[in-house]
Amino acid sequence: MSLKQLNILLADDDVDDSLFFKAALEGSSLSANFTTVSDGERLMHLLTNGTEELPDVLFLDLNMPRKNGFECLSEIKQNSKLKLLPVIVFSTSLEQEVVNQLYQNGAQYFIRKPPHFTQFKKIILQVLTIIAQGNLTQPVRENFVITLQSN
Amino acid sequence: MSKQNESNDNELIIARKELAFQIKKKDKLAAKLIIAHNELAFQKDEKGKRAAELVIANEELTFQKEDKRKRAAELGIAYIELAFQVDEKEKRAAELGIANTEKGKRAAELVIAIEELTFQKEEKRKCVTELGIANIELAFQDEEKEKRAVELGIANKVLALQDEEKRKRAEELIIVNKELIFQNEEKEKRAAELGIANKELAFQNQEKEKRAAELIIANKELIFQNDEKEKRAAELGVANKELNFQNQEKEKRAAELIIANKELVFQNEEKEKRAAELIIANKELVFQNEEKEKRAAELSIANKELLAFTYISSHDMQEPLRKIQTFVSLILENENRNLSDNGKYNFQRIRLAAERMQQLIVDLLAFSRINTADHKFEKTKLRLIVEEIKTELKDAIQEKHATIESSKLCSANIIPFQFRQLLYNLISNALKFSNPAVSSKIMIKSRIVKGSGLNNENLSREKNYCHIIIKDNGIGFESHFSERIFGVFQKLHHKDVYGGTGIGLAIVKKIIENHKGIITATSELNKGATFDIYIPDDGIMLMPIDRVSKLSGKQKKNIDQIYPSIIKNK
Repeated sequence: MSLKQLNILLADDDVDDSLFFKAALEGSSLSANFTTVSDGERLMHLLTNGTEELPDVLFLDLNMPRKNGFECLSEIKQNSKLKLLPVIVFSTSLEQEVVNQLYQNGAQYFIRKPPHFTQFKKIILQVLTIIAQGNLTQPVRENFVITLQSN
Repeated sequence: MSKQNESNDNELIIARKELAFQIKKKDKLAAKLIIAHNELAFQKDEKGKRAAELVIANEELTFQKEDKRKRAAELGIAYIELAFQVDEKEKRAAELGIANTEKGKRAAELVIAIEELTFQKEEKRKCVTELGIANIELAFQDEEKEKRAVELGIANKVLALQDEEKRKRAEELIIVNKELIFQNEEKEKRAAELGIANKELAFQNQEKEKRAAELIIANKELIFQNDEKEKRAAELGVANKELNFQNQEKEKRAAELIIANKELVFQNEEKEKRAAELIIANKELVFQNEEKEKRAAELSIANKELLAFTYISSHDMQEPLRKIQTFVSLILENENRNLSDNGKYNFQRIRLAAERMQQLIVDLLAFSRINTADHKFEKTKLRLIVEEIKTELKDAIQEKHATIESSKLCSANIIPFQFRQLLYNLISNALKFSNPAVSSKIMIKSRIVKGSGLNNENLSREKNYCHIIIKDNGIGFESHFSERIFGVFQKLHHKDVYGGTGIGLAIVKKIIENHKGIITATSELNKGATFDIYIPDDGIMLMPIDRVSKLSGKQKKNIDQIYPSIIKNK
């Protein structure tokens, strides 16, 4: 299955996680332009400088230096040019208060970083398929967190 | 007022006399009237008689007139007869002429005739005489009639006069009656005034009698008062004697009092010394309290720091673990062809170990949270917590084809986030230990019940408890393990068969202890398990701050419990 070329932006400070993401993309049959930024400040700078075209989707890690994912999400959703950008939040923890807060702030989906690579690939593919289909509205709260059954 | 009464009386007497006189006058007039009436009646009778006589006279007259007419008629007839006779005479004369011869006869006849005629004339004369008599009689009758008429006229005049008199009397009588009516009205007015005057007088008399009675009562009262006064005077004499005695006593007491005051002054000095000591003690106490509050604040800060530390450290520890797992799975996927079976097996063991470590960290974090966080009780709907847990566990629920029956849930006074952890652990256990042969059925219900209705000696009979039941139809456990399973790191199965760190139920038990409640587990192998939780429903207050030190002591003990076993397990 080939979808159109997606511009994917990943904001994550962790080298290994970026590597996993890239490996997952390569392992799937999607063709995509993949860019990484390693902290929040660089992310906002990249999104707002106006020279580059906006990505189709942003995968946002929460724990980043200088400016964390929470702050970036708020800024993006308050920026009239950026608020339509679908933001998929990535995190290792799954605390309900945190997830609720992210849902309130307008993130599209929440993914807990799974420890199994296979799962990781499946989830990325699942989300990118949704994005590629142009389904950009925020889902209901029950469907906000994307999980796969643990193996 | 009495003079007016007298004059009124006099007027009344005069009026009465006047009235009596008037009545007599009226009676006289009435008598006169009656006499007049009688006279009138008599006159009317006389008139009637005269009228009757007149009628009779008129009839007589009429009769006489008839008679006269008859006589006249007879006379007419007689004249006609006479005329006829004359005719006859003439005839006869004629005849005489004729029959002078017959004269002799006829003379004789004539003589007879003349005799006859004479007789007739005699007769006529009689008749005329009779008629004259009758006419005289008639004239006499007419005179009589006129007399009667005159008499009648006189009688009528008298009668008219009588009527006049009667009318005058009647008029006088009307006037008298009006006068009488007026007099009666006057009399009634007087009588009314008299009546009012009498009532007034009677009322005055009553008042006078009341005053007299009151006066008598007042006099009696006065006599009584005088008696009382004399008694009081006597009592007063006695009281004065008593008073003198009392004064003597008082002087004695005053002397004693002076001594007591000296004693009191000494006591006050002692008291002031104590008060000063007390102030110093209070200042010391205030200082101690401030110190204590500082400690409590420090402790609270320390707890928060510890919690943050625990959280962050557990997160930071989980990160490398996750990466280990992901890299291992990456290798296994990408280098599948390049690895021997042994190599693959080893990597899988690495992954498992990392998973275990991760689970341990998660559970440890949860356990530490139970001890260090604020214990804020809120009345919470249990149904809402269960719904949230169902959402969190939706994948596992789907995988086990499980149904969770949770409709009969009440509200309870709990620490929400701790209770969420509790229910999460119990429900995820129920799902984990489900029977693969049947679809998992988990029932959660709660109700408020009085301690006396429960068969547990550890529960107060008088208190109300929220009784929560979590029941599943899974693999269960042998009943003699029902207490051991709540131990820390206690598992009944090998970790490769059923995963988990063995800390879930220990956390549950800790949470129940924080709620001052009780949890019991009942089960038989392959017959599911039932967990009964009893939480007091009486609104437990915030934990007082001075218990925190005790808590940290317990917590310290727990961590000591945990760490040695971790070291042992290694």
